[in-house]
Amino acid sequence: MAEIPKIEFNHSEGEQLPHFHSISGIEYKRIYSREDWDKQLPDAGEYPFTRGIHKDMYRGRLWTRRQQSGFGSPEESNELLKFLLKVGQTGINIDSDIAGKLGLDPDYPLAQADVGLQGTSMCTNEDMAVLFRDIPLDRISSTLIFPPPSSVVMMGQYFLTAKAQGIPLEDLIGTMMNCPFTQLVGPTFQANTAFFPIDLALKIGLDLIEYLIPVTPKWNVLNVNSRNIRESGVDAIQEAAFSLALGADYVDRLCKRGLPVDSFARRIGFFSAVHLDLFEEVAKFRAMRRIWARLLKERFGAQDDKSMWFRCAVQTSSLTLTAQEPMNNIVRAAIQTLTAILSGVQSVHTTSYDEAYCLPTEATQKLAIRTQQIIAYETGVTKIADPLGGAYLVETMTDELEERIWEMMKDIEKRGGFIECFKAGWVENELNKARYKLAEQMESAELPIVGMNFFKDDGAAAEIDIFKQAPDMQARRIEYTINYKKNRDQKPVSRALKNLCDRVKNHADKDLVAPMLEAVEARATLQEVCDAMREATDFSIPR
Amino acid sequence: MPKRQQRIIMAKMGLDSHDNGLRIVSKWLADSGYEVIYAGVYNSAERILQMTIEEGADAIGLSFLGGEHLHYTGKLLEMLRTHDLGHVKFFAGGIIPPADVVALKDMGVDAVFTPGAQRREILSVIGKCLGVSEDSVHEK
Repeated sequence: MAEIPKIEFNHSEGEQLPHFHSISGIEYKRIYSREDWDKQLPDAGEYPFTRGIHKDMYRGRLWTRRQQSGFGSPEESNELLKFLLKVGQTGINIDSDIAGKLGLDPDYPLAQADVGLQGTSMCTNEDMAVLFRDIPLDRISSTLIFPPPSSVVMMGQYFLTAKAQGIPLEDLIGTMMNCPFTQLVGPTFQANTAFFPIDLALKIGLDLIEYLIPVTPKWNVLNVNSRNIRESGVDAIQEAAFSLALGADYVDRLCKRGLPVDSFARRIGFFSAVHLDLFEEVAKFRAMRRIWARLLKERFGAQDDKSMWFRCAVQTSSLTLTAQEPMNNIVRAAIQTLTAILSGVQSVHTTSYDEAYCLPTEATQKLAIRTQQIIAYETGVTKIADPLGGAYLVETMTDELEERIWEMMKDIEKRGGFIECFKAGWVENELNKARYKLAEQMESAELPIVGMNFFKDDGAAAEIDIFKQAPDMQARRIEYTINYKKNRDQKPVSRALKNLCDRVKNHADKDLVAPMLEAVEARATLQEVCDAMREATDFSIPR
Repeated sequence: MPKRQQRIIMAKMGLDSHDNGLRIVSKWLADSGYEVIYAGVYNSAERILQMTIEEGADAIGLSFLGGEHLHYTGKLLEMLRTHDLGHVKFFAGGIIPPADVVALKDMGVDAVFTPGAQRREILSVIGKCLGVSEDSVHEK
């Protein structure tokens, strides 16, 4: 067995921690005082929004309870959504299966074994309508987790569902995440570039933003998933620097398209991780708010306060969950949820304790929602805006993190910006270094994890209910897709797909959203739309 | 004569691309002297079979997260057997529920590693399976 440094109980000296630095390596001092921080703070709701983007914070309105959910077929997921809303979820966060994110249909050979496993299997107009059956799209906000080009197809399907529900597009509330770099994992290079040309995906994402700005005024058009960045193993400083640098890249590109910054910036959001180093995480969110506000105001010339708001959804970390003694994860997730609330975030997904084994069951998802409700209604922490503001430690850490994040962002900027860094392999390198380092820290127990590398109980086997999919789910989805394609009027489909293919071949610089939406309306499937563009660019995908 | 360096293919199958575990264990194996053929993500069973033949691999290590482990393991093991490659050692790791760990072993997987498995344990089990003592691996 490995040599794990255990805490030695020395009754004369007491139990001691292995070190006093944060997860990002910042050394905590014994105590913080006025000598460390002696400044003035702006009010909550005031630039640069250190204390929160709203004056009243949760006194005005609680955060949205938004659990990422979806599995199996659209029918099954619709039932799950209704269950979650019944127990008190207040927003929807739809996760498709991986095929949906990669622009593949369930019948694609390499997709078949993954259909519906990590999210809802979706590829047709009907699927979207079924998924949102009985859910009014103008009263419940939905986040749809799709990178481009899938984001455009799904947006088209969502529009058709809205139309069928009799809801005008200007009333739609929610978010299309729409980032081609962060919606899968990492951004690791191979994962995010193997199924679609990355430059074209980026271009289509920007096209979609431009398209949505006038037609869906309440809809959010872009979300940078910094949680996926963090979950690859990087620290809080890297998470913040990478995601803010990527956000800046988007703003820059949209401004260069001629869009006024105040027309779109307020509709960009972030999705971050919450880890276990409580004060470092609180400082991270406060620093991110400040940096984003300054970027938007000073670099991009935003005038409207809302353009400067760092609006942030979070999900508690999965990386910190253990398979050993899984019930311990309930405690971790509760602390992380509290951390998120003390940080003033806008919506929260509390990760379920069984996710080191499988997708969460209904029971564990309910517990996750209850965790948030207990914090909201029982602990009192929601009754004050920015309850930790002004604490010497919190303000010192916020300043320290802000400085380190800016420094890293400047380095990324010098290398041509985050997107260039991704394409050049620099990001990949940084992620791998971080992963190896994290693995070392877990091996050496420099990063203590109770039940795993500290206080390990070798005798105890985990007792846990495992989420189970219906045994014929994948076969049904594959059969459905084949039949759908067989039984529709083929002529308009072929015409729309050819039109799209030609457009990409000959006029790729022009808007691609309109011809994609036409193909969706003609009942082309997700993969058919993506394939038309792959064909136009001679792009071959893994088989 | 020293034994040829042991060659191990490391891969993820299908569409899941959560590759933290794959990257880390691949590095551990390479650092301790194995020749790692890093196949990355998005592999089909056919591709790994072909690679096993072309590279003359001694072992295959697959990492899973999304619940596709039974499908791909079963498929690849069967293909290996029909191609007289039953001797190739087979390891799996990742998010695999307890009952499926048993099922994978019954199928013929030599070892299964779940979250929390430590480096020494992984290297020692793989070393034993491949008939290399840990010391000789470390010496390269």
